[in-house]
Amino acid sequence: MEQKTISRREFLKEMGLVAGVSLLASSPWFSAFAQEQETQKEKARLAVIGTGSRGCFHLNMFVRDPKCEVVAICDDYRPSIDAALKITPHANVYTVYRKLLEDPNVDGVLIATPLHLHREMVEASFQAGKHVFCEKSLSKTLDDALAIYKAYQNTDKVLFVGQQRLFDPRYIKAIEMIEQGVIGPIQGIKTFWYRNNDWRRPVPSPELERKINWRLYREFSLGMMTELACHQVQLGSWALKELPNRMMGSGSLTWWKDGREVYDNVSILYLYDSGVRMSFDSIISNKFYGCEEQIMGHEGTIEPEKGKFFYETIPPAAGILQLVNEAEKGIFESIPFAGPSWVPETANKNKGEFLIGEKPKEDGSRLTDRAFVEAVITGKRVEKLVEEGYYATTLSILGDQAMQEGRIIDYPDEYKIDYLNHKAPSALAPAAPENV
Amino acid sequence: MKDTVITARRKKTEVFTFIACIVVAIGLNIFAIAKYNTAWSELYSQIVYVLVIGCIIYALWTVLRLVFYGIIGLIRRL
Repeated sequence: MEQKTISRREFLKEMGLVAGVSLLASSPWFSAFAQEQETQKEKARLAVIGTGSRGCFHLNMFVRDPKCEVVAICDDYRPSIDAALKITPHANVYTVYRKLLEDPNVDGVLIATPLHLHREMVEASFQAGKHVFCEKSLSKTLDDALAIYKAYQNTDKVLFVGQQRLFDPRYIKAIEMIEQGVIGPIQGIKTFWYRNNDWRRPVPSPELERKINWRLYREFSLGMMTELACHQVQLGSWALKELPNRMMGSGSLTWWKDGREVYDNVSILYLYDSGVRMSFDSIISNKFYGCEEQIMGHEGTIEPEKGKFFYETIPPAAGILQLVNEAEKGIFESIPFAGPSWVPETANKNKGEFLIGEKPKEDGSRLTDRAFVEAVITGKRVEKLVEEGYYATTLSILGDQAMQEGRIIDYPDEYKIDYLNHKAPSALAPAAPENV
Repeated sequence: MKDTVITARRKKTEVFTFIACIVVAIGLNIFAIAKYNTAWSELYSQIVYVLVIGCIIYALWTVLRLVFYGIIGLIRRL
C-alpha cells in the first residue's frame, strides 16, 4: 500500500488555507497537529471495531498514513472481516471487542459500529486505557451521549467524534469568513439533504435484515436524524457560536414503506435565543436539490458543500462596460428590431465565488483521521471537538423527539454541558474542593 | 492580380492612427471610471476590453476613411 507523507501545512496550502492563529481560533481541534514534526518517526497502533462500509473507509485512510499501523480489527460479521482483511491483511482479527481491548499493542480504537453500541464500547475502551475515535452519531439516546461525555471527562484519553466537516477545508474557510464578518451577521441557516434511494444494503438472508439495515430500525437508529442531520446541525454551533434552546419538527414516511421504522421525510426547526433559526430538511425520494447548508448573512450567503459564497450586493460591472452598454442602449433602444442588451447582464450574473479558489476535491475525512493519529501519538486532547460532537448528537436526538411527540421541545437542562451559551447543571459540574 | 505597394508613409500613418485609437479607448476607460465611480484598478484590469474597443474604433475610422476617400475619388472622376 502506498504511504504518502504530506504535512498539514502542505495540505492546507494545497487547499487554499493558511495554517495560523486564525485557523486555531476558528477550529481549535487543529492543535492536534501542533507536534507533527516531532512525531515524524512515531506510529499510532490502531484497531478498528466495526469493519462495515464506514469502518473500511477509515481503514483505507489509516493504511495510507505512514504514522499509523493497523494492528487489529474486530467485527462479528464474517463478510465485513473479509473486506477489512483485503485492506489490512496482517491485522489481528477479533470477533469480541472486549478481547481486542485486552491487546496491549493497541493504542487507540476507532468505533464504527451501530450507534446503540457506542456507549458501552467507548466506556470499555477508556477503561482499557485506549484512545477513542467514535463515529457519529455519538449515541442513539441522550443518556448515552451524556454518559460518553462524562466518561471522557473522567479520563485523560483522547476522544474524537466523526464529524468530518470540522476538518473540511471548505467549512473551515467558511467559518473564518463568518468570523471576519465577510457575510455580516448570520440571519438564518438552512440545511437540507435530499437523496433518491432506499438506503438499504443487500441482505444475504432474512434473519440478517436488522443487523445489516440497522439504520432503518428505531431499536438501533433514529434514521436520517442520527445519520444525516447530525452532520449538518453541527454547523449551527460552529457558525453561530450559540446553541439552540428549542426545536420543533414534523416527520413522516411517505415513499419507502418497506417495513422500515424511521422517517423518510423530515423537517426540523432549531430556535436560537438570538431569534435566528436553523432548519434541517431531508427527503430520500427526490434528490434534485442534493445536500447543502446555506448560511445566510446580511451581506452574503455561504454554501460550504458547494464550496461557494455569494455577496448579497452584486458588484457593478466595470466602468468601460457600463459606458458601452449605455451607448448601445442609446443606439438600439429607439430601433424596434434591436435585440436584447448583451454586455452587463452577462457580467452581472451572480455565480458566486469558490471559497478556496477551486472546486473542492475531498471532504475532511482524511484530515480527521490524520488528526486522530497525531493525537494518539502525542496523547494530547484537542479543544471543543467532543463538545461539538456531543451537541450534534443531542440536537439530532431532540429533533427526532420533537417530530415523534409533535410538539416544541425545550433543550433539557440535565443534558446541557458547559459549552457556548449552555451551562451544565450543578450535578454535572465538578465538585468544589472540600476545606481541610 | 497585381502587386500592391504599401509605402513607408502609409505604414507610419496607420501605426499612428492605431495608437491614437488605443489612446482614445484608454481615455474612454478613464472617463467611464470617473463617470461610474468604479475602481481605478480597472485601468489595467479592463485592458483587454480597452484594446478591443481600440480595434473597433480603428476599424470604424478605417471604414469612414474608405467611404470618404471613395466619395472624393468619385467626385474627381466626375
